[in-house]
Amino acid sequence: MLFHTWPFLVFMLIVLPVFYALRKTRWWIPWLMASSYFFYGWWNPYYLLLVFYATVLDYFLVALMDHCPRAGQKVDVTGRLFHLRFGDWVLKTAFLASSAATVAILAVAWLGPPTLRPALAGLAVIVLLMASGALLSNRRIWLLISLVNNLALLLFFKYGHFAVENVNAVFAWLHGSWHLPEPSTLMPFGFSYVLPVGISFYTFQSLSYTIDFYFGNVDRERNFLRFATFVCFFPQLMAGPIERAKHLLPQFREFPPIRRQNFTDGLSLFLVGLFKKLALANYLAFYVERVYDNPKAFGAPALLLATFAFAWQIYFDFSGYTDMARGIARLLGFNLILNFNNPYLATGLGEFWQRWHISLSSWFRDYVYIPLGGNKDGVFNTYRNLFVTFLLSGIWHGAAWTFAIWGALNAFGVMATRELERSAFYRDRVPRLLKQLGVFVFVCLTWIFFRAESLGDAWLIVRRIFTAVWSDPQIPALMLALVGLVWLYQFLYESKHREILQTGLVRVGCAVFMVLYLFLFASGGGSFIYFQF
Amino acid sequence: MDKSRKAAVAATQIMNEMRLNGRQCALALGLIVLAVFLTPRLWKGVERFDTGLDYRIPYDLSKDYWLYQRRLEDKIDPRSMVMLGDSVVWGEYVLPDGTWSHFLNEQSGQADKFVNGGVNGLFPLALEGLVDYYGHALHNRKVILHCNLLWLSSPKADLQTDKEEKFNHSRLVPQFFPRIPCYKADANERLSAIVERHFPFSAWVDHLQDAYFGQRSIPNWTLEDDGSDPPRYPNSYKDPLAQITFHVPSAPSDDPQRGPKSPRHKPWSESGGVTQFEWVDLDTSLQWNAFRRLVRTLRERGNDVFVILGPFNEHIMAEESRAPYRKLRDGVTAWLTENKVPHLVPEVLPSPLYADASHPLTEGYALLAKRTLASDDFQNWLKGP
Repeated sequence: MLFHTWPFLVFMLIVLPVFYALRKTRWWIPWLMASSYFFYGWWNPYYLLLVFYATVLDYFLVALMDHCPRAGQKVDVTGRLFHLRFGDWVLKTAFLASSAATVAILAVAWLGPPTLRPALAGLAVIVLLMASGALLSNRRIWLLISLVNNLALLLFFKYGHFAVENVNAVFAWLHGSWHLPEPSTLMPFGFSYVLPVGISFYTFQSLSYTIDFYFGNVDRERNFLRFATFVCFFPQLMAGPIERAKHLLPQFREFPPIRRQNFTDGLSLFLVGLFKKLALANYLAFYVERVYDNPKAFGAPALLLATFAFAWQIYFDFSGYTDMARGIARLLGFNLILNFNNPYLATGLGEFWQRWHISLSSWFRDYVYIPLGGNKDGVFNTYRNLFVTFLLSGIWHGAAWTFAIWGALNAFGVMATRELERSAFYRDRVPRLLKQLGVFVFVCLTWIFFRAESLGDAWLIVRRIFTAVWSDPQIPALMLALVGLVWLYQFLYESKHREILQTGLVRVGCAVFMVLYLFLFASGGGSFIYFQF
Repeated sequence: MDKSRKAAVAATQIMNEMRLNGRQCALALGLIVLAVFLTPRLWKGVERFDTGLDYRIPYDLSKDYWLYQRRLEDKIDPRSMVMLGDSVVWGEYVLPDGTWSHFLNEQSGQADKFVNGGVNGLFPLALEGLVDYYGHALHNRKVILHCNLLWLSSPKADLQTDKEEKFNHSRLVPQFFPRIPCYKADANERLSAIVERHFPFSAWVDHLQDAYFGQRSIPNWTLEDDGSDPPRYPNSYKDPLAQITFHVPSAPSDDPQRGPKSPRHKPWSESGGVTQFEWVDLDTSLQWNAFRRLVRTLRERGNDVFVILGPFNEHIMAEESRAPYRKLRDGVTAWLTENKVPHLVPEVLPSPLYADASHPLTEGYALLAKRTLASDDFQNWLKGP
């Protein structure tokens, strides 16, 4: 169910009034959870199994982690193993249940149909680790299980085919007889091997909870329904923003205050998002597709403009989704974090990443870059950490070498300009507009690798941008005018003339323009680009 | 409220100034409602819509239901009789001066007494939708309704098959109930069709796209190419606003696809042999049920309805198909008689006067008009109140 479709409107027309009607009861959280599950199940009911599994496991892992000492306490492993002296019935039950489950799973795997074996083997590893965690009362093991489980789900569904393809290519190159099976052949019960929409987002969100709890940054959520709602909250389930437990979970502790501003802010955000998606992203997509689907047929200006157009398309598409998600959450009384902050007005690459997909950038910063050492261990290690973080961020976007190269290019860009951006000359002497232009052009060049169908296509486009003939790009004037208007709006927003945009006349005028434009010109439906991640 | 919650629900960060307060929201909503309500109405005043004698909705505007509605409301004399139906009424193989309504006018000696209200490809399930949502002007008047049994000639034509079929005027058919098995549109498409019917602004936007932008959205139109390889984009530079001429396009005066000079205008026997038809059962027919509902709707609106059944080209039918066809035809007439709906079942035309299973050629329409006017039932109905 896409936000900009009629079924979603019907869904909201049911969810919203019932949610407000339940404000004085205990049922508003179950309602929110049921609505979120319905929303997600609309795509494919089988996806619900995965999100429910990830939720249940992380809920219990944190509960078990809570029963383990933080540090410094010795555990009598022998006493526990042979005499079941745990001193904590929860851990004892977890140990017994996990051990029994491991045996049962292995038995079923042995006796049951062979198609179930891969899935059961994976489950057996998780359950065996759980038994070890209970036996050793080690918080790290619980964290490890959460990491293994969430990343395994992500790796299997998102990167399985890519990994197998590449490993088999290496085997073939080495003339080996080994051959890994296709992940689709490992699916149980005849389920089809498809990427569950939003898996990259909800696994990261759930994972952040266990990591934050492990480091003592967040309290344990005892209410399962509340935790499940946090993992699958429908406005941000499909494509973020990736929320942190510290920010979103407390909002689910009591019914949000009902204010008129919830509705006005929510509707304003939703309208802006809808306009970005339907009027801008979808329109730009037509031009980009035409050029990128057949790059050999176009001259340098068309390829360059299509690259610029893609930069705006992906921004409008993703930030449009985020605006709608935040608007819907606001209508329900909740606040989701800011995900985009006019990124194409950034004056440095470092700043760009503080303005683009903020929830993901900060996730990688907090859970990858900083744990790797951040910028504390010298220049070399800082650059190494930056590179690893950007590379992983690139791969997070998709299972293809183009994404890895996109991540690496951004890493090189940030590394190369890090010192420059800190210099007084760059900060004070280089005109702001020039800095913005430089960042925009560099980012656009990296987008080529993000958008191109293959590495070959990406290289072809880069080469042709610099070598192909300068023919007429034939880009519609209406498209240029729309993007120009948005850029002007954002430029004014960040300038000293911002008060122009704050006048009621401009605000009302913009709202009326956007709605009428959507009625008149909206360019069809279409899914969001980030759903494929 | 605890501290962490307070921090979490701090004011929403919005990175633009599009943040309307309650009063501004109300003002914006008022302006939008005003624009949406007034624009289609004002548009009628500025857009030229020439109809005149023998006018029929141009083929390219067959799906411009807003225009159809406008014609019914503003362009048809209340004393005229509107002929409703599919391409048999519209005149698939003939020019405007070769249609059934043209010959009825000519032979009755009263110009514009019979109005061609046919639309290409408009089967009963769609015609029902057209009348329900865009035909409110059809009330308290005389209406001639054509019943083309071609739509009952197979489960596929009756839209009963389970296999997905793409068909014309899908936005007019019932979207949810009664269920049409071969219509597999997703929920969004179905709901958007329902919204469009009740939101005249949306139908007006469709009119703009149909009349001026080759049935494309305006952004799509700006990216249209000319089919050359590599494509050039001739519309990229065109000003979309300049396309809007404020003059509803008329049908081409010398349509090469229609009329006695067109290669299509020839007897059916020159291009095909006899056909086996799998007539559906009247009781389970979706099209027939829609037709019955349509008759009821029209009569409930105070219209005086006259139904003309066929004449179907029986010459094209394989021998085995004839008996079930006659049973079906008799079933239809029985229902019409039972419900006191005045009707006529014209005699089958000579074989060379049919272009296919149901469409007559120009001479066929002339003869059909003659037989229609010669019918006592029709004359009695004409003289009626």
